[in-house]
Amino acid sequence: MLPFAEVMQKADVNKFYDEKLRQSRAAQNRQKTPSKGSHRRPKKIKTFMRGMGLDLPFLLLVIVLVVIGLIMMFSASYPVSYYEIGDSFYYLKRQLIFAIIGVAGMIAISFFNYNKLHKLAPIFLAISYVALIVVLFAPSQTGVRRWFELGFFRFQASELTKFAIILFFAHWGSKYYEKMQSFKYSALPGLIIFGTTAVLLILEPHYSGIVIVAILTILMLYISGMRVIYLIVAGAFLVVAVLIAWATGLLTYALERMDGWGQALEYTTPEMWQTTWQTRNSLYAIGSGGLFGLGLGQSRQKYLWLPEPQNDFIFAIVCEEIGFFGALIILIIFALLVWRGITLSLRAKDRFGKLLGIGLSSQIGVQVILNVLVITDWLPNTGISLPFFSYGGSSLVMLLLQMGIVLSISRTANIEKQ
Amino acid sequence: MAGKSKKKSSKGVMQTLRSRTTYLIIIILVIGFGAITSRLAYLQTIGSSYLQEKAVEQQLRDTTISAKRGTIYDAKGKVLAQSASVWKVVLAPAYFENNSQRKEVARGLSEILELDYKDIYKKTKQKSYYVIIKSKIESDTRDKILKFSKKISKENKKLSRVIELVDDYRRYYPYEDLASSVIGFTGSDDQGLEGIEYQYDEYLTGTPGRRITAKNANQTDMPFQYEQNDDPKDGNSITLTIDETIQSIAEKYMKQGIINNNVINRGVCIIMDVNTGAILAMVTVDGYDLNNPYDLPQADLDAIGLLPEDERAEAESAALSAMWRNKAVSDTYYPGSVFKICTSSMALNEGLVNDNSTFYCSGSVHMYDYNIGCHLRSGHGTQNFFQAICNSCNPAFIKIGEMLGRDRFWNYYQAFGFSEKTGIDLPGEADDIFFSPDGSMTDLNLATASFGQNFAITPIQMITACASIANGGKLMQPYLVQSISDAEGNVIKNMEPVVKRQVISEETSKKMCDYLERNTTQGGTNNGYVPGYRVGGKTGTSEKLTSTDGSEDYIASYCGFAPADNPQVACLVFFDKPKGGVYYGSQVSAPVFVNIMSEVMPYLEIQAEYTDEEMQYVDTVAGSYIGLSTEKAKSAAEKDGFTVTIKGEGDKVISQIPHAAAKIPADGNVVLYTDETSESELVTVPNLVGYSVSDVNAVASAYGLNVSISGITTSSGSVSITQSIDAGTQVSEGTVVSVRFGGTTIVHD
Repeated sequence: MLPFAEVMQKADVNKFYDEKLRQSRAAQNRQKTPSKGSHRRPKKIKTFMRGMGLDLPFLLLVIVLVVIGLIMMFSASYPVSYYEIGDSFYYLKRQLIFAIIGVAGMIAISFFNYNKLHKLAPIFLAISYVALIVVLFAPSQTGVRRWFELGFFRFQASELTKFAIILFFAHWGSKYYEKMQSFKYSALPGLIIFGTTAVLLILEPHYSGIVIVAILTILMLYISGMRVIYLIVAGAFLVVAVLIAWATGLLTYALERMDGWGQALEYTTPEMWQTTWQTRNSLYAIGSGGLFGLGLGQSRQKYLWLPEPQNDFIFAIVCEEIGFFGALIILIIFALLVWRGITLSLRAKDRFGKLLGIGLSSQIGVQVILNVLVITDWLPNTGISLPFFSYGGSSLVMLLLQMGIVLSISRTANIEKQ
Repeated sequence: MAGKSKKKSSKGVMQTLRSRTTYLIIIILVIGFGAITSRLAYLQTIGSSYLQEKAVEQQLRDTTISAKRGTIYDAKGKVLAQSASVWKVVLAPAYFENNSQRKEVARGLSEILELDYKDIYKKTKQKSYYVIIKSKIESDTRDKILKFSKKISKENKKLSRVIELVDDYRRYYPYEDLASSVIGFTGSDDQGLEGIEYQYDEYLTGTPGRRITAKNANQTDMPFQYEQNDDPKDGNSITLTIDETIQSIAEKYMKQGIINNNVINRGVCIIMDVNTGAILAMVTVDGYDLNNPYDLPQADLDAIGLLPEDERAEAESAALSAMWRNKAVSDTYYPGSVFKICTSSMALNEGLVNDNSTFYCSGSVHMYDYNIGCHLRSGHGTQNFFQAICNSCNPAFIKIGEMLGRDRFWNYYQAFGFSEKTGIDLPGEADDIFFSPDGSMTDLNLATASFGQNFAITPIQMITACASIANGGKLMQPYLVQSISDAEGNVIKNMEPVVKRQVISEETSKKMCDYLERNTTQGGTNNGYVPGYRVGGKTGTSEKLTSTDGSEDYIASYCGFAPADNPQVACLVFFDKPKGGVYYGSQVSAPVFVNIMSEVMPYLEIQAEYTDEEMQYVDTVAGSYIGLSTEKAKSAAEKDGFTVTIKGEGDKVISQIPHAAAKIPADGNVVLYTDETSESELVTVPNLVGYSVSDVNAVASAYGLNVSISGITTSSGSVSITQSIDAGTQVSEGTVVSVRFGGTTIVHD
């Protein structure tokens, strides 16, 4: 997908970066007055932190999450795998293959100069649109058209969209950074891109995708410097819309359509009880875990009680097996990853890298938050997967390749700065 | 920020990015992660116990394992009631994937279980894992179900879990209606509903076991170590004092009595061990098949069928409870003349009368404007105490009652246990109905009570009182359960006889035994005498408590015991509403009593002492002469004491009448057949009723028939009353006809 093969041909990758960094350093030095920089540390180019020059803590955090994710995915999936497919290792085997491909891809991408993506951003956005349109003509599964069936695996079109949105706004925000104060260059493209994407996602339909695209668009425009007033206006519009909906009774209808959101434990109608089955059993699983959990592999809810425990609701099984403290450790690892990703991106040498790195890292945090809110019945059950944990080859590979981009950014960022 | 917009420097933009990233980190990591962490913390601490409870509730499958209900044995260890394995067919329709599967299973099950297809199909639509289709199916049906289940699961693996067979038990009563009112039956949940099954339910039931397993959402067990078993504890077994043999004998003759006398309202027979109070037999005829306790006799169904539709259900349940009712303990009746044994005992015990006391009977007594008649209108004249008993003379007993007085009568009434429940271990025991609960009564009341009228007691109270008179004066508590043993056969409870009190002295008891024995041999109570045994007893005929149609209804009863010199068993026989022409106790109940006792006594190994006259009528059994040469057979039979008739021309005996081991009079005629043509020769049975013993013998031998004699032959006026084979029947020569004799004098009490 990405032309990193060309990069791989370069005999001395380190030298390639060395040269680039020296040049940028020289340019910065020219602009700066000596007095301002006098009390700073002597200019010293520390080429690499360690090894290949990528951010080792970030890499380690990713690897740790991939490994824990694989273990937990296996634990959560083997009963379902056994009962429904007859092979307890079915999901593990597939996920393991994708994890290996993904990690290899991630390392490879990290050698690639992310700046090449600058120009590719509009192309990616275009590809994303094409994918979103084409997928509408893909064979439907129970009336939902979200995936491309590609033989061995299937690919979710919105995975590409999420990346394309982050990439495009990083591109846009760095290209027009001086004009970000204006409506025309900030809110307007945001509205256009979000609006068109949202329409296509409604047609799939894929509501959680809309939520994520909205959040990512706002997030990217916000850090790019868009005036907060537009966000406030947008928020005000939302509040007014909700109030009108509430006044006209449409809100009740809308909430009813939210599949018993927040009412998983209350019995109202047999249909609703069935609808909230997954969320309820997720809560049962989380509650059963208590502080210390039932022990790794000891979940009971995964025995067909919690449907598809390997997918969106995997963290409920994690909570059941390793308890609150185990879940907390995993959340801390996620938080550290997000933190590390954002902070290292801030140190990227250019604005594009900063915006792209922050966007990609934040995306992980946003998905984790949304996922846990869903499995704890604080958001409607809309299908938001947990990064590195939920089963799904294409999304894992996509995720790891994006982490590869962050690592690529980290190569330019780990110079000690002024 | 707005002011800076025009000259936005690279640095300014950089600062905006930095500060906004800080806000972003705060939003994501502090607010976002903080929210989800606190949400999880809440669910996994405060909310944990509730959620865990709910989770466990759905994950655990609590299966009840039925305990086997205890067995009910008779005194000799024969099984009267037993539980056997049956199965419950349970459907888990939630596994069905489509309607064609539902239809297939519904069709298959409806065929095997003979149930309505539509009903089952409706059940297959339920979204459930546990729908009971049929309970208590037997092993042959179970095999069919298993085969069917195998077949459908071969077609589709998922259907293998649709049909489940759950172990259960069903109650079987091998003797069907035997002692039905005593044993009782169980309901669909194995709970005792009547009789011993009800009374001893807590012992018989046992404790159901539980199996708690973790299950997945498909209701099959989870493959990990989460199982808790609590084995069922089978119920205790009960051994009754009832002896199946004695019970069968009593029921056989009671049923005969019902038919012979056209008894409308059923009959009761109780046989009691007088020394312990143990009930050896308790009969209410007709009983009902315990295996099908809800099946009414055809006569009842016909009667109900005639009713308007809205009254049928009520009539049916009334008919059922009447059928189940244990008349021996739940019904009261006027004891009538049988009660005179109690009045006599009271007076004797108080020393108010002796052998020399005399009573005069003019045929009636005039009291307070009432004329109380004696059954003998002409009067008994002057009689001594023993004669008054034999005559069952009402005026004499009115006099005796007067001598006792109301207080003493009431005291003895209480002492004999009539004012209290006997405490027999059966449900539904009735209370007596006396003139007033505190025993106060008028002189007129006392007068009628002296001969057993106008107050009602239960049959069990009557026989218990009779037993106390026979056993030396001790009032026993009647009981039906000998012992209770656990499932392994260890006896956990043994019933000991309970002496409630000494009612009369031993001398009085001895004296009464003597009187009552002589009453059967010398007195008017002809039909109470049992050949070979010393029996004491008293007849009774009482007017019924409630006579709805204005016609007079009677209860014919007999109460006696044997042997009179050392009483062992007491027996009460009573028939409610005999409508067969005769209704006196001496005519209706006494013959039944005699028949029962003459079989029960040998069974109890009580030695018979025949008079010389009786000796010649004692039956023996024929030997086997088949296969012997004609000559040898003849001499062998003659050596056995029989006369021999040879039929046919053959030289070998090919068959004989009576058959080997069959009953035959000691000096009877054995007919030996030597060829087949001779075998087909038949004789016509003559009328043998209404003759003396010698006449019957003469007629029978003229026809070449054997006669087995039973009943009273000692009395000079004995005549044959019944014959076992009706006159006119074609039988082989040598066939034994049983002829029963009885006295001609009848006490109309």
